[in-house]
Amino acid sequence: MAKLGIHDLAVRYGKLTAISDLSFTVAEGERLFISGPNGAGKSSLLGAISGAVPAAHGRIEMDGDILSGLGPERIARRGLSMVPEGRRIFGELTVQENLMVGTGIRRDRAAVADDLETAFTAFPILRTRAQAPAGALSGGQQQMLAIARALMTNPKVMLVDEPSLGLAPKVVDEVYDRLCSLQALRGLTLVIVEQSSTRAARVGGRMILMRGGRIVADGDAAGFAAADLLSEAYFGDPA
Amino acid sequence: MSLQLLFDALSLGGIYAIAALGIALIFGVMKLVNFAHGQFIACAVFALILPSTDAVAALGLGLLPTPLLILAILGFGAGLAVAAEALVFRPLRNASPVALMVGSFALGVALQNLLLVLYGGRPKAISLWAGLVAPVRIGPAEVPLLQLIVIAAVIAILLALGLMLKRSRLGLEMRAAAADFGMAQLLGVRANRVISGAFALSGALAAVVALVMVAQTGVADVRMGGQIMLIAFIATVVGGMGSLPGAVAAGLAIGAASALLQAGLPDAARPFRDAFLYALVIVVLLFRPQGLFAAADAKPRV
Repeated sequence: MAKLGIHDLAVRYGKLTAISDLSFTVAEGERLFISGPNGAGKSSLLGAISGAVPAAHGRIEMDGDILSGLGPERIARRGLSMVPEGRRIFGELTVQENLMVGTGIRRDRAAVADDLETAFTAFPILRTRAQAPAGALSGGQQQMLAIARALMTNPKVMLVDEPSLGLAPKVVDEVYDRLCSLQALRGLTLVIVEQSSTRAARVGGRMILMRGGRIVADGDAAGFAAADLLSEAYFGDPA
Repeated sequence: MSLQLLFDALSLGGIYAIAALGIALIFGVMKLVNFAHGQFIACAVFALILPSTDAVAALGLGLLPTPLLILAILGFGAGLAVAAEALVFRPLRNASPVALMVGSFALGVALQNLLLVLYGGRPKAISLWAGLVAPVRIGPAEVPLLQLIVIAAVIAILLALGLMLKRSRLGLEMRAAAADFGMAQLLGVRANRVISGAFALSGALAAVVALVMVAQTGVADVRMGGQIMLIAFIATVVGGMGSLPGAVAAGLAIGAASALLQAGLPDAARPFRDAFLYALVIVVLLFRPQGLFAAADAKPRV
């Protein structure tokens, strides 16, 4: 059974259609990149999966259970976590407090302490700055914090929206490095919105190319860089 | 004399700070300016006495021994605020901030009229804690015992609230939700729990103000929440909307300014004390329109 299933999804804002007739599945432990031009509906897709944006039509399933309509608080409890666009760090809270916000849904305090240790080991800078206000971290450090914070809810599926936005290429390398090793460590299923297909190809994984709220291509990320699919998606005639 | 002035300023400012906190807590979490807060205070005052339109009030909850009475009134204030949230503000949760604000006005008018129906419009004398006005000598100053109690209570409440926000699970969730409600929900924080918690705290703070006002004036009046609500609202604006330390600092400052003006103005100008006070507020806002402690949002950094 697929870990995550999207069936005939539609998202609308008033009369504006952001996504229509979207269907795909994600296997357990898979790394899926979502790419496409601005306005393709990538963030709306993640918003709909996480429950932050209501779906106008269709069904979203995780492990066969229907998520759509539950709302973000309950979807988070089912084991789906989100690293949002722009990171949305709680700037006035300390780094450690940021990490603890998402642990309210967990009962096992010992496991929470273990995960905090794992986060501090994966991102040593977060341990050094644990008691500093999170707003004082650099952009790259805030991205690491956003990833670590999402992991503290103990997710099975993690959605990451544009982790490279506004970061220097070297920092982006580091972010993907940690993301991939944490995925291997935790057996996570990852869905990542990434504008740069060359970046996705280098990291490796499956890639879905979106345009105008629909899927225009689906395949191995490495194959996309070679094919003309990208220029078609960005510059070609609308389907 | 100056010591006396200090106690006046601290006790008056402390009460303003508690009232302002009640408003700032709710604004911080759900961006609602709750104009019904003054009526929460009035309702907590009237909860002490039995409903009747007689001139002399018969004590109801006011008959309880003092520790129980305080707990009962705090619980009443918290319960009233939580019920108001569930019945009025929860259905409006996704409405615009303006709709929420108008809703709070409507709730305030409804509560005030409910009090008028149950208790009549005339102010009623409440004889509780008459001994507390007895003066205590501290060095050269004579200070009413009540002022000392108020100052001690305000300090204890501020410490407890600070500790609760900093150390408890609910406090962490409230601070996260105040910074970015949507993000907090994505991390599994329950909106209803956080908002009910904020209203319960706010209502309990309104009850504290009510108890102090009754002890100071010995009167229950349907209109008594209005004046302090106005000052508390001004304190939250001057402090910076949503900033809890700002609300406390501005409440204390307004109380202190008020006490200083009362003592320092010439006799002829004293009736216009509040005009001078609000002129000061205007001056502060001209220079700091965002308030003294504007809540600094997390700016995206690169």
